Amino acid sequence: MKKLVITLITLMTLAAIACGGTSQSADEEPTQTPPSASMAAPADPGATAEPEQAQTPGQPGTAATPIVALEQQPSELTEPLPTGTFRRLWSDPPTLDPHLTGDTTSAGVVVEVFSGLVALDTDLKLVPDIAESWTIEDGTVYTFKLRPDAQFHNGKPVTAEDFKWSLERAAAPETASPVADTYLNDIIGAQEYIDGKASEISGIKVIDAHTLQITTDAAKAYFLAKLTYPTAYVLDREVVEGGGRSWWIDNPIGTGPFKLSEYRIAERIVLERNEEYYREPAGVETVVMNLAGGQAMAMYENDEIEITGVGLYDLERVLDPNEPLNKEVKVSPPGFSVSYIGFNAGMAPFDDTKFRQALNHAIDKELIATEVLSELVQPAYSILPPGFPGYTNEIDGLRHDPERARQLLSESKYADPETRPRIVITVPGTGGTIGLDLEVVLEMWKQELGVEVEIQQVEWATYLEDLDEKKFQAYAGIGWEADYPDPQDFLDILFHSESSINHGDFRNAEIDAVLEEARTEPDIVRRIDLYHQAEQMIVDEAPWVPMWFTGDRYTLVKSYVEGYEMTPMIVPKLKRITIEG
Amino acid sequence: MWVYIVKRLLWLPLLLLAASFITFSLGRFGPGDPVRVMLGNRYDEQTAQRIRHELGLDRPFLAQYGDYIWNFAQGDFGESFRYRGQPVRDLVIRKMWVSAQLAIAAMVISLGVGLPLGFFIAHRQGRWEDPASVTVALVLMSVPVMVSVPALLWTFCLKLHWVPCSGWGGLFDPRILVPAITMGVPGIAGLTRLMRASTLDVLGQDFIRTAHSKGIGQMTVNSRHVFRNALIPIVTILAFSLAGLISGAFITETILGIPGIGRFAVESVFDRDYPVIMAITLIGAGAFVLANLLADVAYAFIDPRIRYQ
Repeated sequence: MKKLVITLITLMTLAAIACGGTSQSADEEPTQTPPSASMAAPADPGATAEPEQAQTPGQPGTAATPIVALEQQPSELTEPLPTGTFRRLWSDPPTLDPHLTGDTTSAGVVVEVFSGLVALDTDLKLVPDIAESWTIEDGTVYTFKLRPDAQFHNGKPVTAEDFKWSLERAAAPETASPVADTYLNDIIGAQEYIDGKASEISGIKVIDAHTLQITTDAAKAYFLAKLTYPTAYVLDREVVEGGGRSWWIDNPIGTGPFKLSEYRIAERIVLERNEEYYREPAGVETVVMNLAGGQAMAMYENDEIEITGVGLYDLERVLDPNEPLNKEVKVSPPGFSVSYIGFNAGMAPFDDTKFRQALNHAIDKELIATEVLSELVQPAYSILPPGFPGYTNEIDGLRHDPERARQLLSESKYADPETRPRIVITVPGTGGTIGLDLEVVLEMWKQELGVEVEIQQVEWATYLEDLDEKKFQAYAGIGWEADYPDPQDFLDILFHSESSINHGDFRNAEIDAVLEEARTEPDIVRRIDLYHQAEQMIVDEAPWVPMWFTGDRYTLVKSYVEGYEMTPMIVPKLKRITIEG
Repeated sequence: MWVYIVKRLLWLPLLLLAASFITFSLGRFGPGDPVRVMLGNRYDEQTAQRIRHELGLDRPFLAQYGDYIWNFAQGDFGESFRYRGQPVRDLVIRKMWVSAQLAIAAMVISLGVGLPLGFFIAHRQGRWEDPASVTVALVLMSVPVMVSVPALLWTFCLKLHWVPCSGWGGLFDPRILVPAITMGVPGIAGLTRLMRASTLDVLGQDFIRTAHSKGIGQMTVNSRHVFRNALIPIVTILAFSLAGLISGAFITETILGIPGIGRFAVESVFDRDYPVIMAITLIGAGAFVLANLLADVAYAFIDPRIRYQ
């Protein structure tokens, strides 16, 4: 679910337009109290929700949680299911084929229509999905017991054979999935299969119709989390093989709580409740995702949609306690993404740690966040976003300290402006506009340190190419967003010397050793501790200037919508919504 | 006549072949790589090679081109690189339909204002209304989109609250107002001038004097004889506009969040979505060639003095 961010402002605009909820909310009110009571909680505009808020599973109180309600047969319920339609803005998804999904826009729809062995709950806990239970031997052999009642939208039961076929289809070279390696290559034999060198993935075994065994190449704590991604979802072989590459347009058969009942490019996606869902059916009958675009705030106020993010320009009005809209504001901690300025440690002047540290200390992020970005972002002094597994607020970041910055600069190899190489920072885009925050940063470097930095803008596709080839001296305008909730997804992937996406050519043998140890450390406490160590070491070495933890800070949700929870990652959640009245 | 049409049509495949070769080469040899865009900042050489292989991007240039043309000739435009699993044909047709609706609305405005205005000022030739109208129309035509869109939004959305500020709902949705005015107003000037000249031309004809001398009322002469005959050159001009129907308007579509083909085309270029770029180029080129032919043929049908050998 990686999403590069062209500029911070674009991110916020896009988030406001396209994906109204990528952050956690303050609306946990698990009982079905009258609407007015549940509205009271988020009504305080000034209150910033604490990242560590005690979250209940967020399930309407009268119903058992899905994990427990194993035996409940929805079709046998005498009570009619609740009606209601939930409408929101969305963007045209690049694909709705789970195995090709690699972006949040696609995933946001896919996770509602399809499903896999395990899933993430709205509080990002790993929960059983089609697998009702599993055992792990030696940390590497996972034996999943499938729910006997799980079935596809066409009524066919889901078997272990379906899972084996689906995982192999996701990894098959002809599927050309951009993310199969990322999510599946821990399975024994998967890489050989992906590379077309094997006829099956040897690490996936069908024990019986409802028992599946997956063996990984080493004990990897994050493996189950990876299986929550759509790459590992189950598909109906007949449907996929009979429909060609566009099977999901003509015959979108999944297993999830919703059926894709209509998909019109550039117009709308309509999801309808799957009445035969193997867990408790969804609380709304229909979900309409408007793809035609539009001014989200205007549409929200016009009752055309039930949810929207709040952008910089509407912020003042929405936060005004006298505004009726203010009652519907939800404040959330940032999403699982961090934006940053990257330095190329293999190129002068960024090959000098002191120089990199000096630039870090010279920036007053608090000032930029308050004065320029209206507190829509949270300054970042570490790598892992708040609330993310392995996050700690004890990382000692390189805070604003002009004195120290000047000291470090004078100790560095590049203290003398006469001999210092020309510094160019590259940002992606074509508009000629760069992020406001970056302009202020350059000004701060100039004023505090007398370091002049030029900006160069490069069109997106070219930017990516040069970034991969480590051609940039320094680069900005992008961010990193979590794929799966494990610190490995940030720290190892971005900073290990051998990682293909270590774009800043950052190399540190000590840090590599800690990261490698953490990969397979079975003891969870010790493992997290290793990541804390690694993160502190990385922050000290200053390969980046971490800038912001981003994501929708403020979201508007209509008061008659119950159960919508903001999550810092894409997880299945629309089934929890109910519409009052 | 038929020989002429067939001759012109025979040129079409040649023109398309030339256009396709140039576009194809530019994509393959220019900077940027669709696989990198697909993988974003998760690029990994091994994965990239695998996807390139599956998409056929690692084959020799001429083999790729030949295959593309072969499939294109059979109506298969391939699969989008950006919208994975989606046939290019469906994507392009859907987006073109959005732009076409917009173009129709814009044309209604151009014609609805331009024709009556041109007709009216032809009757006021030499008086102040004549230069004044033409001047206003020309000034409006010269206003760049980057200025007219914000001005219209400010008026209709922020001040009058008639329409939402952006978005798209089809031909019969009020949100079409701003883009239709933006795109329709510049066309008014040209149509006004054309209609004025054409009306003046008809007014000077013998049959108008004859009609007047027969005692037919001014209104009847205007509607039956002048207006109708003055429309002839307009009809042929409209044939040209047909091609414009599917080419879209990038800036207007982008600023206003309209999912049309103009915006789609530019996004496809940024994302190096070769199959989509190719399809749009070829369909656009074909449409222009056909529209030109249609205009030429229309001349011959409407004006008996024109003959093609």
